Amino acid sequence: MPLRPRVLVVDDETSVARTLRMILESDGYRAITAHSCAEAVELFGNSHRFDVVITDLNMEQPNIGLNVAQAALKLKNRPVVIICTGFADTENLQAAMKMQVDYVVTKPADVPELLQAIRRLLAMRKATGA
Amino acid sequence: MEKTRANIARKTALVVHPDIEALTVFQGALKQNGIQTILARDLPTALLAITQHYFDVAIVSSRISDEGDGWALAGVLRMAFPQSHISVIAPQTGVLELKSAINHGISSIHEHSTSPEEVVTSALATSPAHVQ
Repeated sequence: MPLRPRVLVVDDETSVARTLRMILESDGYRAITAHSCAEAVELFGNSHRFDVVITDLNMEQPNIGLNVAQAALKLKNRPVVIICTGFADTENLQAAMKMQVDYVVTKPADVPELLQAIRRLLAMRKATGA
Repeated sequence: MEKTRANIARKTALVVHPDIEALTVFQGALKQNGIQTILARDLPTALLAITQHYFDVAIVSSRISDEGDGWALAGVLRMAFPQSHISVIAPQTGVLELKSAINHGISSIHEHSTSPEEVVTSALATSPAHVQ
């Protein structure tokens, strides 16, 4: 039986992170949460492997989620990186595009859209071997 | 023989735009950079071209026959050519357009007012590994 894809949810609002984790788990993913950029980066350094990283933008600092995205994109096994934010602007989206973030969801998140995007991006990753 | 090798090595671009004048200018700019170019003014022609060529670069207007249909085509191009440079030309580059660009896997987005030469230069400069 293949391992279920592993998802890291990074959001400083505990209730948001917990809700997303429950939604992902009910859709068949293994999900864990982090509540700050620092906590997420520490997990990346502890040889955890993630297939998907979903991060908020504004946590301990504005737009610090971009640092989470950048750290995730530099991992040897590059996960699918999704930004989930209520504060998208041209500046942070241009930065996200430049670093080749895979998907942006605006809060309140459209859950079916998010799950469909994760499935598609993981399938593409598997098909291209990237 | 050398000519055949050169043809094999030559990179190919797809430009999809409803305006024939814009197509001609893009073709000229790409030709100047040694890129063979396939032009399409509508979706059926673009889709046919996708089935018949490998495209290293694609430049697509966000509007082909209806507003926004270029985004869907750009998404198809990303799925068909995961390593290629895909540019979209949109009326503006605001939050909605940038979000669309990221979610469709677009490499770069330009406003309609950007000159075709600038779009081509940007496309070639940002994908040096794939377009030489």
